[in-house]
Amino acid sequence: MSVGGARVLAWDGPTRVFKWTLVLLVLDGWVSNRFGASLPQWHIWNGYLALTLVVFRVLWGFVGGSTARFSSFVAGPRRALAYLRGAKYLGHNPFGGWMALGLLALVAAQALTGLFSADEDRLIIEGPLAGKVSDATVAFASHRHHLIFAALEVLIVVHIAVNLFYAAFRRDPLVKAMVTGEKPAADYADMRSAAAGSWGRAAVCLAIAAALVFGGITAAGGRLF
Amino acid sequence: MMKKFLTISILAGVAFAAGAATAQNDPIAQRKSIMKGVGDATKPVAGMLKGTEPFDNALVQKALATYIDAAKKMPSLFPADSKHGGETTARSNIWDEKPRFDGLFARLGQEAAAAQGAIKDQDSLKPNFGKVLGVCKECHDDYREKKN
Repeated sequence: MSVGGARVLAWDGPTRVFKWTLVLLVLDGWVSNRFGASLPQWHIWNGYLALTLVVFRVLWGFVGGSTARFSSFVAGPRRALAYLRGAKYLGHNPFGGWMALGLLALVAAQALTGLFSADEDRLIIEGPLAGKVSDATVAFASHRHHLIFAALEVLIVVHIAVNLFYAAFRRDPLVKAMVTGEKPAADYADMRSAAAGSWGRAAVCLAIAAALVFGGITAAGGRLF
Repeated sequence: MMKKFLTISILAGVAFAAGAATAQNDPIAQRKSIMKGVGDATKPVAGMLKGTEPFDNALVQKALATYIDAAKKMPSLFPADSKHGGETTARSNIWDEKPRFDGLFARLGQEAAAAQGAIKDQDSLKPNFGKVLGVCKECHDDYREKKN
C-alpha cells in the first residue's frame, strides 16, 4: 500500500496540540480533584480550560485542517458499513469520528455541569455558577458531574484499546500519526493527504473560545476566582 | 395541686434524663451533631475564603478548635453496631478501612492545629485553611454517602 515509503499529512499541528492538551486536562481534572482539595481553584481552572478547548475544537471543526473538519469525518451508517467492508481512512474512520464526537460531548458536559457543582455543604469547592442556582440544582449537577466522569472513563478505555489494536493488528499507526501528524501514503477512502489549517486561524479560534467561555461565565454572574 | 406539679416535674425530669442518656448512647446522633457543629463553624470561613465576608480570625480559630475537638471525638463514634439507622450518611467501607478512616481524623487534627498558629490574615488563611478542608474532602469523597 505504501508508495515508496512516502508520508502524507494526516493531522495538522493545531489539531494535534489540541488533542494532547485535552488529554492532559482530562488527566489533570482527575488529579486536581483527587489531590487538590486544598486548592479548589486548581480543579476549577482546569474545567475552564477544558471547556475553552472543546469550544475551540467545535470552531476548528468548521475552519481547521481538512481531517479535523466535521464535514470530513462525521459519518452516517452507510459510510460506517462501507468502512466495515474494508475501507482505510487517513483521518477518523466513521467509528473513530463517532468516538471523537462522544469524547468531546462528554468533556463538554463534564465542564458545564462543573460550573454548577459544589460539595454537599458548599463549603469546600463551588463552581462559579453554583451560587446562582438552588441547592437542588447544585445536587443534580454534582451528581451528573460524577456520573459523566465515569462514562468518560469507559469511553477513554475503549478509545485507547481500539487505537492500540489498530496499531498492533491493523498496521494503522493511529497513535503515532496523532503525535507526528503523518501517515504512510495510501489509497485512503476519505482523502489522500490532509490540508493543514493555519496556526493563525487556530489562534483566532482559541481567542473566540476563551472569550465565549470566560465572557459567558462572567455574564452569567459567575466569579472566575 | 402540689402533688400533681411534683408528678409532672418528676416525669419531665425522667423523660429529660432518658433523652440525654439516649443521645449519649447513640453514636449516630452524636457524630451527626458533631459534624453539624463542624459545618456551622466552617460556614463563615467559607465566606472569607470566597471573599464575600471580611477576615475574622476569631471565627477562623473557633472553626479550627471545633475541628480539633471533632477529630478527637469522632473515631470512637463508629462502633460496629452503628452502621445503620438514624439516617446516617456514613458509608459502610468505614468499618472495612477503620485505620485509614481514623488516620484521616488524626490528620484533620494535625492540620487544624498547624493552621491555628499559621493563620494571621486573609493571605495566610487561604493556603493554611485549604489544607484543612483538603482533609475534609478526602474523607467525604471516600466515606460519606452522597445524597443522590
